[in-house]
Amino acid sequence: MISNDEKRFLEPGKHLMMGNVAMSEGALSAGASFFGGYPITPSTEVIEHLSKRLPEVGGCCMQMEDELASINSVIGASLVGAKALTATSGPGFSLMAETISMAANLEIPFVFCDVQRNGPGNGYVTEPHHNDIGFVRFAGNGEFQVIALAPMNCQELFDLTITAFNFAETYRCPVFILSDAYLGHLHEVINIPPKEEILKRVIPRELPEDTSGRMFTYKDRVSGEYVTPKPPQMGTEYCPGLFIHQPHGPDGLPTPKPMEFIEAIIDKININKDKICLTDTYKIEDAEILIIAYGLPVRSSYRAVDIARKEGIKVGLFRLITIWPFHDEVVKEVVKNKKAIIVPELNYTGYIAEQVERVTDLKTPIIRVPKVCEFHHPNDILEKIKEVA
Amino acid sequence: MSGVGPMYPQEKPEHPYLESSYVGNLLGNYSSRFCAGCGYGIISQLYTRTFEDEGLDPKKYPLIIGIGCYSQIILLVHHSAQKILTLHGRAPALATGIRMGNPKMKPIIFSGDGDALGIGGNHFVHLCRRNLNCVMFIFNNGIYGMTGGQAAPTTLFGAKSTTTPYRMFERRIDGIEIALAAGATYVARTTVAHPRTFMKYFKTALKHNGTSIIEIITPCITNFGRKNLDSLGNENMNLEEDISKMDSAGKMIEWIKKNTVRINQAKFMDERELFNKYVIGEFRHDTSQIEYSEQYNRIKDIAQGRR
Repeated sequence: MISNDEKRFLEPGKHLMMGNVAMSEGALSAGASFFGGYPITPSTEVIEHLSKRLPEVGGCCMQMEDELASINSVIGASLVGAKALTATSGPGFSLMAETISMAANLEIPFVFCDVQRNGPGNGYVTEPHHNDIGFVRFAGNGEFQVIALAPMNCQELFDLTITAFNFAETYRCPVFILSDAYLGHLHEVINIPPKEEILKRVIPRELPEDTSGRMFTYKDRVSGEYVTPKPPQMGTEYCPGLFIHQPHGPDGLPTPKPMEFIEAIIDKININKDKICLTDTYKIEDAEILIIAYGLPVRSSYRAVDIARKEGIKVGLFRLITIWPFHDEVVKEVVKNKKAIIVPELNYTGYIAEQVERVTDLKTPIIRVPKVCEFHHPNDILEKIKEVA
Repeated sequence: MSGVGPMYPQEKPEHPYLESSYVGNLLGNYSSRFCAGCGYGIISQLYTRTFEDEGLDPKKYPLIIGIGCYSQIILLVHHSAQKILTLHGRAPALATGIRMGNPKMKPIIFSGDGDALGIGGNHFVHLCRRNLNCVMFIFNNGIYGMTGGQAAPTTLFGAKSTTTPYRMFERRIDGIEIALAAGATYVARTTVAHPRTFMKYFKTALKHNGTSIIEIITPCITNFGRKNLDSLGNENMNLEEDISKMDSAGKMIEWIKKNTVRINQAKFMDERELFNKYVIGEFRHDTSQIEYSEQYNRIKDIAQGRR
């Protein structure tokens, strides 16, 4: 439902922008027309910017009474056919977890921007800390699979937000953009592509073709493939019929076996891992030591690789753009025959290091470089490289 | 799930009146999941009847249902009605999203006393404050019925429940007072023992452009009536009648009738006399306030430079 309003798209070319603003502009370009939010440092700029911009393009930006209400208003808007998003951080995310679980089970698409910060309700709220990585994976009660993207600069915040909306439309699941306090407040020059180019990239919200009552992902009995219909839309000819909170089994009919629909909502994403899991590599061909990173630490890792290469150490960087689902097969292939794996993360637990450990053979050492509330200096990573080289 | 009507549009209708009217659909489904004597049967019949009488387009009046025994009404109303079962207490927030996502829609929210005044109290207050065009029903049975009779914020003082086995010692909350304070523009309370007023208020609310809050006092025999005496609410008047447990529909409806006071009578009664009573009637009907999405359209006009 992209409105033709010219105001939706910024003038093509270079703009100096804050990360949170770039995220908001990405959402507008992707066709978002509803935002429900509650101010919380460091994600406040998203609601501030969208409350100015969304009325301009005919959308609606609501400041709700709390995070519970904002996420519920977002899925309400998504049910009536608006592309919707919310942004929060820290404890706001915990409050929203309840409804994320519901939205994932009802297959209501929406985009969720988590500007991660340190600590619980009090503490270093303006410091970055990738501490929601584990929470995002199982963001709520019940079983479901989400998609989480980790941008590393403002340009990617813009581009990946469009990708996130496309994933949400295609796979009908909550899609997370994992920004953080530094990235959200970082001012960078971003390059806005022309309107036509953006429109080519965007998957618009469409009405379902099948009106027989199949609303949810089902496994086709003949081909054995998962079919995800377009999201049902309230207030149109296509009517959900009964309440939408019901288990969905093979052929789109209700099933008495909850196992079947849990399988469907998890496997619809897992079988499409090749399309969903975006990765990037840097000087990986002849690398003996491998850095696996995502988000902000990638920026330090690039520098560390360059310095190490100058000193004659063969280091490569493997970057995860999509964190969840974690693509086991691809990572397994990459970590093969490496002397050591270095995983710099902006948290102490090492959520991704755990995943890498899972797919790596026991002989390869996995070295974590934890940092909390501060950047990785390239030297921090370089030290570890020299230790194992 | 058999015996509760057609689950899907393609399913064969079970009753000859099914296609012709909503009420026919409802009456055709002679088995419901409600306990004997429950008020939700009355409410769903009155709701569907009003819906049909007014000739409402189901596409424009989506049903947003909270969590409680009344969630089963979802199975009784006509299959072409658009319904969504929400999380406990979050129905007003979801309705806000629906209304603002598509301002042609007027959501009808079903919620209970625990739903609207307990867990969702904040959402309820802010729905009233915004004056969003919607109808919100609060089915008040004074107890958490679905989980087996725990004390609710609306449980009367002195009543017994499974979590207040000696007696309820907290003061109860009054949803109507909150709605009035928060700024809802149509506020009314009725009971299932006054079905015609229910229909009247519902019709007024459908025509009203703004937040309409209608509280309905409904009996819960299984979890409230069987534990409590019908002297509840009359502690201050030394009645010399027989006191017995409210273990049947008749006794409970009688108790509701006895325990309600009309708004024009209530003006002449003091606080002591109104203790543990329900005041029924229309509390506010204010058409002067601007509706939320109309307000927002003005903001859009300013933002787009049209104003």
